[in-house]
Amino acid sequence: MRKFTVPLFFVLLAPALACAAPSPKLIFPSFSGLAQKATESVTITLDPALLGLAAKFLDGNDPQDAATKEVLKGLQGIYVRSYSFDKDSAYQQADIEAVRSQLAAPGWNRLVETRSRKTHADVDIYIMLDNNQAIGLALIASEPRQFTIVNIVGAIDLDKLHKLEGQFGVPKLDIDSKSAAKPRN
Amino acid sequence: MSKDIESQMRAALRPVAPREEFSQKLLTGIALERPELKPRRLGAGRRQPLAWWLTASLAASLVLAVGVHQRLQQQRAQQSGLEARREVMEALRMTSQKLNLAYEAVKSQSTSLTDEHSGA
Repeated sequence: MRKFTVPLFFVLLAPALACAAPSPKLIFPSFSGLAQKATESVTITLDPALLGLAAKFLDGNDPQDAATKEVLKGLQGIYVRSYSFDKDSAYQQADIEAVRSQLAAPGWNRLVETRSRKTHADVDIYIMLDNNQAIGLALIASEPRQFTIVNIVGAIDLDKLHKLEGQFGVPKLDIDSKSAAKPRN
Repeated sequence: MSKDIESQMRAALRPVAPREEFSQKLLTGIALERPELKPRRLGAGRRQPLAWWLTASLAASLVLAVGVHQRLQQQRAQQSGLEARREVMEALRMTSQKLNLAYEAVKSQSTSLTDEHSGA
């Protein structure tokens, strides 16, 4: 009987441990109240199936499409929520808090934190690492009339992201794979 | 006079039993005509081409329906693919836009720090 008890314990424990492991996929609140107030809202939910489908429709001969295709390789999801308002302070920081609190969980590391007094734009970039490989990226940008949350799930190759520079206006952030492995928390 | 006419007419129109030949001829005639009037035999010859056309048109309709269904599925898949592609581009554009914002903030911060240092 005891022979089976120990393996059974681990078998039962495994799902619990899996649930406890931090996930790079954030759970977004519905933001229904904000969506009603917003003049423009963007909701993008791209799961692995849709990313695979999108990749099929990218032209490998086109440089921009080819670079995008490279970035999409290994990604498991891209989730974007963005709300624009016609007046300042139309949203509260508490609205974003539900997302921000998830980024306080172990596994997430704050890579960049910027506070601009000039534009009043705050941008926080978080990264989740697994064996020095980025497996999740979260970006929270709050401006007076807009807030945007981006969550990219999957093996994010920062070198490939660099290749998008100039294609989508991605700037050089001086982030390389080595520096990403030593993030600030 | 009128009674004569009446009696003559009655005599002329009186029921007369048919001759035996008549009944036999009539029955023979019916028996001979029956095969021609038989609906099964008559229909069998005409139904065969009808059934063939019906089968052919049903098969053609089925092929057409499958073709149309596949075409519609392809169109739907293409629409979903193009929509997914557009969303990927939009998501990356927005991400890069916000990364730019962070970059500008970092740049202006480092510029102001450099100015402070050079001023000191």
